[in-house]
Amino acid sequence: MSSLSGVDAPNNGLPPGKVAAFNTADLLRRALAGTATRAILAVALALLITAILILIAGKNPLLAYAALLKGAFGSLDRIIFGLNKSTPYILAGLGVALCFRANVINIGAEGQIAVGGIGATAVALSGLALPGFLLMPMALVAGAACGALWAGVAAFISLKRGVHEVLCTLLLNFVGVLLVSEVLHGRLGEQGAGFPQSPLLPRTTWLPKLVAGTDLHIGIVLAVGAALACHILFWRTTFGFRLRIMGASRNAARYVGISNMRQTMRVMLLAGGLAGLAGGVEVLGVHYRLIEGFSAGFGFNAVGVALLASLNPMAVLPAGLFIGFLEAGALAMQREVGVPSSLVFVIQGLTMVFVLCALGLRGERSKV
Amino acid sequence: MLEMRGIRKAYGAVQANSGIDLDVAAGQIVGLLGENGSGKSTLMKLLFGVVSADAGSILFKGQPLTGHGPAQAMAAGLGMIHQHFTLVEAMSVTENVMLGAPDAGPWLSPRAMAQRIVEESAKYGLDIDPDAIVDDLPHGRRQRVEIVKAILRGADLLILDEPTSNLSPSEVDGLLAIMARLRDQGRAIVFISHKLDEVLAICSDIVVLRDGAVAGTCKAEGATREGLAKMMVGRDMPPPVARAPSAAGRNVLHVGQMALVEDGIERLAPITFSLRAGEILAIAGIDGNGQTELAECLAGLRLPTAGGIDLDGHDVTLAGVGERTMRGLAYIPVDRAMTSLVTGMSVSDNLALRDFDRPPLSRRGWLERGSFAVRASEMSQRFAIKMAGPHVAARTLSGGNQQKIVLAREIGRHPLVLIAHQPVWGLDPGATRFVIDQILALRAAGGAVVYISSSLEEVMTLGDRIAVMQGGRLSMPVDREMADLTQIGLLMAGDVGAIHSDAA
Amino acid sequence: MSMDIAAMADLATATIRIATPLLFAALGGLLSEKAGTFAVGIEGMMLAGAFSGAISAFVFGNVALGFALAALGGAVTGSLLAFATARCRADQMVTGLAVNVLVLGLSSFLLRGLFGGRAPVIRLTPPAAWPSPWLSDLPVLGPVLFRQPAIVYLAFLLVVPVALFLAKTRAGLILRAVGENPEAAFAAGSDPVRIRMRAIIAGGALAGLGGAVLALQEVGSFTDGMTNGRGFIALAAILVGRWTPVGAMAGCLIFGFVTALELRAQSWGLPVSSYVMQMMPYCLALALLAGISRSARLPASIGIPFIRH
Repeated sequence: MSSLSGVDAPNNGLPPGKVAAFNTADLLRRALAGTATRAILAVALALLITAILILIAGKNPLLAYAALLKGAFGSLDRIIFGLNKSTPYILAGLGVALCFRANVINIGAEGQIAVGGIGATAVALSGLALPGFLLMPMALVAGAACGALWAGVAAFISLKRGVHEVLCTLLLNFVGVLLVSEVLHGRLGEQGAGFPQSPLLPRTTWLPKLVAGTDLHIGIVLAVGAALACHILFWRTTFGFRLRIMGASRNAARYVGISNMRQTMRVMLLAGGLAGLAGGVEVLGVHYRLIEGFSAGFGFNAVGVALLASLNPMAVLPAGLFIGFLEAGALAMQREVGVPSSLVFVIQGLTMVFVLCALGLRGERSKV
Repeated sequence: MLEMRGIRKAYGAVQANSGIDLDVAAGQIVGLLGENGSGKSTLMKLLFGVVSADAGSILFKGQPLTGHGPAQAMAAGLGMIHQHFTLVEAMSVTENVMLGAPDAGPWLSPRAMAQRIVEESAKYGLDIDPDAIVDDLPHGRRQRVEIVKAILRGADLLILDEPTSNLSPSEVDGLLAIMARLRDQGRAIVFISHKLDEVLAICSDIVVLRDGAVAGTCKAEGATREGLAKMMVGRDMPPPVARAPSAAGRNVLHVGQMALVEDGIERLAPITFSLRAGEILAIAGIDGNGQTELAECLAGLRLPTAGGIDLDGHDVTLAGVGERTMRGLAYIPVDRAMTSLVTGMSVSDNLALRDFDRPPLSRRGWLERGSFAVRASEMSQRFAIKMAGPHVAARTLSGGNQQKIVLAREIGRHPLVLIAHQPVWGLDPGATRFVIDQILALRAAGGAVVYISSSLEEVMTLGDRIAVMQGGRLSMPVDREMADLTQIGLLMAGDVGAIHSDAA
Repeated sequence: MSMDIAAMADLATATIRIATPLLFAALGGLLSEKAGTFAVGIEGMMLAGAFSGAISAFVFGNVALGFALAALGGAVTGSLLAFATARCRADQMVTGLAVNVLVLGLSSFLLRGLFGGRAPVIRLTPPAAWPSPWLSDLPVLGPVLFRQPAIVYLAFLLVVPVALFLAKTRAGLILRAVGENPEAAFAAGSDPVRIRMRAIIAGGALAGLGGAVLALQEVGSFTDGMTNGRGFIALAAILVGRWTPVGAMAGCLIFGFVTALELRAQSWGLPVSSYVMQMMPYCLALALLAGISRSARLPASIGIPFIRH
């Protein structure tokens, strides 16, 4: 049904007679080549249109983009800021990519991240008399578990009651985000703070720094590891093979004997777990506390990252970095040149529309 | 009324029509004969404006038709009845007819339209209820809705594309009678078919297409089946498939009182039959009479609500697809593009679709890519699959080669029992022959086959025993030698007196 | 007792008021979905309408012009979505989502970009209530139903022409046929792609009006992302109403009632936190969808792009 999940292995055969080496690396290289072309074109087009908008607003787009670049990569601190920003997008984007691959349109990362943040905070503040090296991972696991639970609820309603998963995940996003506000005004809230937030978490539960003396936490390592793991899971395991069949055709999956219910549930739990982990990383690595609205926009970015990567797990890594640095740079651009950072949404929205159009049009060629 | 001259159309490198002439006069039924892929459908799509021609001219009622779409074609007085109906199933007959009526204003007048449907229906003996929802109508009735749609749109020339392919013998007779009435009222008809008897029965003139060109034209009067068949194929008919007499093997499949009820509707009435090794049970029947349900119950895609299935001594009534596959069951479903193949995945992945979760293709959840490659090269040789390489997407292959992938996967593992549902549907003669030969080879090697098809010809060629499916019931299988075509025809048409589903 | 009646009347008035923007959006989304396109983008179209409505009313000082340009803003957003999904066959759900964010960013950017780096404070006087003669004097019902602003009447009156259009006109029949079986509509001489595009764009105009009601009537200003999920609630209302205009209206009234209840619950001092109350519309939407979905019948070809062979 969807033009999304049909972005599988290679489309175009080699010239007859020339039989290429048959291996995954080759396959992946060619899949990624298409991905990269598509992504670069979409981004370039989006930047071009955005430049016109900047012109209309009476600013110099070149200066604005220069400020954006400088803001993203201008100093070590900026780069670290960008890396930290990318981390949750990569983690959650991986889950979204796998779901879309299976033609399960999960757009609930936002709520899953929010609830994951609650889980991590609750464990970190639980006062359990445990050494930090245990409590911190436990908090992360709790985050992942809560995110998975949230995704599981959506999947359950969708599968059992036949409600489209888009609506389930979408509606639960609002509930999940409100749940953060609710706990911050209740059990997890800090008394007397001017802003809805939790007390500062114990230092032992903070994510360790990757480079001492900087803000760079180990989240990015987790993200890279997760991308690698998802890549292997998708291309080298029977689980991934089932996802690919399911995404290509529900009828074929049924014919082969794949249980739609079980497989959907699994991939949703996995995606929810990754998103929940992203929430935990954000709380334990960046804010050191739960803050109202900390997940705002993350869910959408996760979808954007997955699409920009054409749903290739390994490509989620550069796509996530791109979006992360784009946002980091945009904040600087707003400061330096006075171009509102909301422009980033425009760039992202346009990029996504272009990628989606390209995927849709490609779907036609394959059918002829 | 219609003059087509020098029509050409190429799809890529394939010349679908290479300079075709066709003439039809008012009050005339012209038969357009030809095998699959001979260019019949392309020619009619060009006429109707669904695709545009590369060269040639069309003169209809004295007016040239060029660069037209379906809308202009219909306005000019052409009506096409596709093999796959273009009806909105959720809507009523009246709504479907109103959808295409050009002369009405912006407001619908369903009552007036219903009245006109009743009138036309009476005039041509169509017998249509204008208030019926299309979803509830059987295939033959839907065809009549299409006809009344075309007539009310003012079609003077009707194109009927393989209109009898899914009709029971009595429904065919009904359709031919309607066609005769249409002709007598002065309308012209192009009757596309590959069934010689029907063409000979109703047409005045016959045009035979082969490889995109006119192979010959003749009057129906005086034409013979043999002559037309030779014209169609371009050579003498291929020798009938060679088959050794079936060696009676042991029982490998036993289905006992298997029934299926879904949403309160009885899809399968209790069905009982046995199948021995080296035997083909061919099941004839018009599509949509429970064949899919039967095949899917046997294959494990649906669970029967009563009765049991015994596969080689194991009760597999409630077993999943995986277990049945392991016990030696293979299944070729009717739908190649969406079900038995994942066209977006590579050939080697498609060859692994059935047993990727078992050694040697995977161990403990890890895919063994090496084994995938070994299987791919083995099977592509054994089944002569033409492709650029095992890694190309299955969709890049031709229909025949796609079906070879399915055959390689299902037959290549020497199944005990093969369920084959319309396995040659839409294939060209060469590919059809290949599939038939493979199925016969499996039989010779001791495999048992349930062969389901709506083509009587296939059923009579392949079956050691023959049964008919109608309304979810299976008639008692009879030996081929004993099979009587008339009785099979009656069974297909739903002559309940001839059914003995529980007797076996 | 009289206190209770006053409270009930107040609640009913608020329900109708809150349901109004939802109803515009739901009717717009219904057109799009009936023609075979999931209306996930109505959130963005509403926001575009709210933005263009508020800005033009602010700049030109004319609320009527504001409403007109709001419809235009929604339609322009709709045409982008229509082009992407119908022409380019982009995935309907995710494209809708992308357009939502695009509009969010664009409106926020333009608000600041056009007014010299800082968002202007838009203060608008909402059009006054327009009591309909005689009817507004009816006891109890009168003040509730017939002392509303003109745009509220328009929203509820619009249900009738939309329903008539779908059921009784040739264009409506073709639109429904495109949503059910575009091949059949194509064979009947219509262009399904063009019809889907028109339906989305017309739906966008309606959703834009809904956004304008929110900005011009309810709030009296524009703030970033002010639709805040209302488009999705309207979407749920379409489903709850089983793809009929009257059903969608009922759905919007249900969600309007829950929101009205939520706003009033605090003043009544219920022992439920405001956040839990805010979750109510979403939870209710889920519960209703879970309750009805099994038997609901979607337009058969919704979500499937039409490809001419």
